[in-house]
Amino acid sequence: MAERFCMVVSEGTFDKAMMPLIMGTTAASMGMEVHVFYTFFGLKLLKKGVRPKLPGLMSLFTGMMEKKMKKVNVPGYQEMLAQAKELGVNFYACSTSMELMGMKKEQLIDGTKVLGASAFLNLAADSKVQLFIG
Amino acid sequence: MDKDATLDARGLMCPMPIVQLAKKVKELKSGQVLELLADDIGAKEDVPAWCNRTGHQLLAMEEEGRLIRIYIKMK
Repeated sequence: MAERFCMVVSEGTFDKAMMPLIMGTTAASMGMEVHVFYTFFGLKLLKKGVRPKLPGLMSLFTGMMEKKMKKVNVPGYQEMLAQAKELGVNFYACSTSMELMGMKKEQLIDGTKVLGASAFLNLAADSKVQLFIG
Repeated sequence: MDKDATLDARGLMCPMPIVQLAKKVKELKSGQVLELLADDIGAKEDVPAWCNRTGHQLLAMEEEGRLIRIYIKMK
């Protein structure tokens, strides 16, 4: 059975957006089974077509960062998201956060499963690696 | 070294060489040798780690300036 890798993402900024995708695509490429749970401000990262911004005042320079990444051939957020999905990374939305943020399932990227902490912990309990990104 | 296929991952940064590698491997058969070309310095550590996890065998790694040339035998 594949080794399981679980991540929790609680922030929605650019850096917190990219990290689970980099880790997730890599782990899936190494043959691991990957589960990512988005909660609180992290939830908006699952919104269709979202473009995450750098944190705080740096948000003004998000475009510059995106250009720089393109220049060194690092894929952008949406591209990485598509890559992760293709590799079979599983995405989960926290049901309570959806209620708090007024988010509907139709607004989330296709394939997102909605669940609560208990269901995610059930996966995480049998997981070899767990990371919290927040 | 004899090879059955080449994956040119030059110009790609982590994690893309590993992602491309995982995709390429699906096209190959057991026992075949893949040559990987990379210039992301992280590949020197990342590819052996990937081999360790996936069970494919790292046969050799050579460096020519910035170019890293790695030979992997499919499990």
